[in-house]
Amino acid sequence: MNRRGFFKTILATPTLLTPFLLAAKRSFNDSELFLICEDSPRFISYLLKELNGKHILPSGKNFTFLTHHPQAEKIAGILAHQGWKYTPDPSQADLALSFSRLQQPARPSFAFVKNGQVWDLRSQKLLALWRNINKNQPSSSCMTTAGLRHRSSSPQQAGKYAVIFADGHPVDKIPLNETQSKRYKTLKGTVCVRVEKNKAWISESSCRHHICRYTPPVFLAGERIICAPNHFLLEIQGNLSVDTIIG
Amino acid sequence: MGKNRKLRLFVYGICVLSLAWLWRCRAGKTWHKATFLYFDTVCEVNLFCSPPDFASARTEINRIFSEIEKEFSPGAAPTFSLHTRTLFQKAWAVWENSQGCFDITVAPLADLWGFRAHKPEVPPLESIQEVMSQIGMEKIKLPPPATQEEDFRIPDKMGLDWGGIAKGYGIDLTAHALINKGFQRGFINAGGDLYCWGSNPDHKAWQIGIKHPRQEGFLGVLSLSDTGVATTGDYQRYFVENGIRYHHIFDPKTGFPARGKQSITVIGPETCLCDALATALFVSKTPEEILKLYPSYGAILVNEEGEIYFLGKSFPFRLID
Repeated sequence: MNRRGFFKTILATPTLLTPFLLAAKRSFNDSELFLICEDSPRFISYLLKELNGKHILPSGKNFTFLTHHPQAEKIAGILAHQGWKYTPDPSQADLALSFSRLQQPARPSFAFVKNGQVWDLRSQKLLALWRNINKNQPSSSCMTTAGLRHRSSSPQQAGKYAVIFADGHPVDKIPLNETQSKRYKTLKGTVCVRVEKNKAWISESSCRHHICRYTPPVFLAGERIICAPNHFLLEIQGNLSVDTIIG
Repeated sequence: MGKNRKLRLFVYGICVLSLAWLWRCRAGKTWHKATFLYFDTVCEVNLFCSPPDFASARTEINRIFSEIEKEFSPGAAPTFSLHTRTLFQKAWAVWENSQGCFDITVAPLADLWGFRAHKPEVPPLESIQEVMSQIGMEKIKLPPPATQEEDFRIPDKMGLDWGGIAKGYGIDLTAHALINKGFQRGFINAGGDLYCWGSNPDHKAWQIGIKHPRQEGFLGVLSLSDTGVATTGDYQRYFVENGIRYHHIFDPKTGFPARGKQSITVIGPETCLCDALATALFVSKTPEEILKLYPSYGAILVNEEGEIYFLGKSFPFRLID
């Protein structure tokens, strides 16, 4: 689908676009395929096949149903034929299907939403299919959602430096590839940091309970060891792809 | 004609002045990061603003955090301030809705198990049974609204542990004070609790990494804006005795650490409620039932076997292998 065709498609389904976007923003999935159609087993399989050809689908091959789907058996049969395996555990599923009923019947349509934005599929085949189902299929209130869960490993990046903050101020930056031990004095006490084999940890501390010493070595960008009584913070810095860490 | 020209010049002048004013507003704004030590943890704040604005933000953050810390730190004498009454009402509501799974009267348990003194140990069964008589919000006679000082009476020997709700409350107060002062983008992260608003430095939703409860690195990454998050788990404060892990999240009905989960992350509009719900859902055997009462909130649950479940409202989340 070219960009012009894509926007024409979007403009042809104005009433559907907003719920699609909202649904995608609410979702845990990276991307979602929405299909409004009575004959969802037939078209969902075709759409998934087409997306698979574009390497949009996740590498895994497990699917599950998050809600009751009136055509679940038929869909499961078709997906099994395409090599998908059913799993009852949603956390193990790469494709999670759910069913919802629209308040009013709508013209059959489909949309693919990724990261909260409608995605340009750029395929003549899909544009032809959309025209076909939109014109020839009866109006429907059945909406099937196929959530594609991508597992990514990109945010887990090893850090490059251990940055030391004493009393709220940065005081040192130790490269993680240099083996060394360093002692730091704060207004409240002293803390000894050990760096070895690209990991950093607190080896000694003058604090009372030594919670900082029991913290496992850190090495990923963004990870921290805190010694609150000594007002001391060790933070791993590097190419961090998250803004902050909780937990 | 001359009149038209003057009018046109006037309009152009207004436009130029407006642009200059907009430019001045934008100029000098950059990302500022600071750390504060409150609530027994490091609080990280990241704000997009000018240096003078950041100085005023620091003052405001210190003012609110120190006020909340003073009122709700362990062992602090109960006051009858607006903060206490507000937070008590919120705690009471979550206690009711969670069938007692979240209970701020667990303070004697935390003391008995030695978590407050940082000397944790398994206490004798008789001591737990004895302390259990001091647990339960229903023992605080008059439910909210507690408007009069004499209405807010805590029976002798009972103690309040605000740890499961006060940090989130402080974050909410601070974040909204900053938003009201015109800080359009930023986040406040105090240990496991966070509120983020606006967009991140890449003009996208904030990318919040959640620590894995058992492994090094992340469980996954949340993409959020104008939302609060709170995480709690059996890995934050714990000790192992005879191969059994004992942690700091107590089941108010048994007096023992709650079982069946490694961690829970709650996402929703109020950090304060996320904070309280995280404890409630961790303790509850039927967390999905509690979340039905909070349709704007969602949760990511890691059970004892390390399996991940999503409950309630969905939020954008990437799992990490």
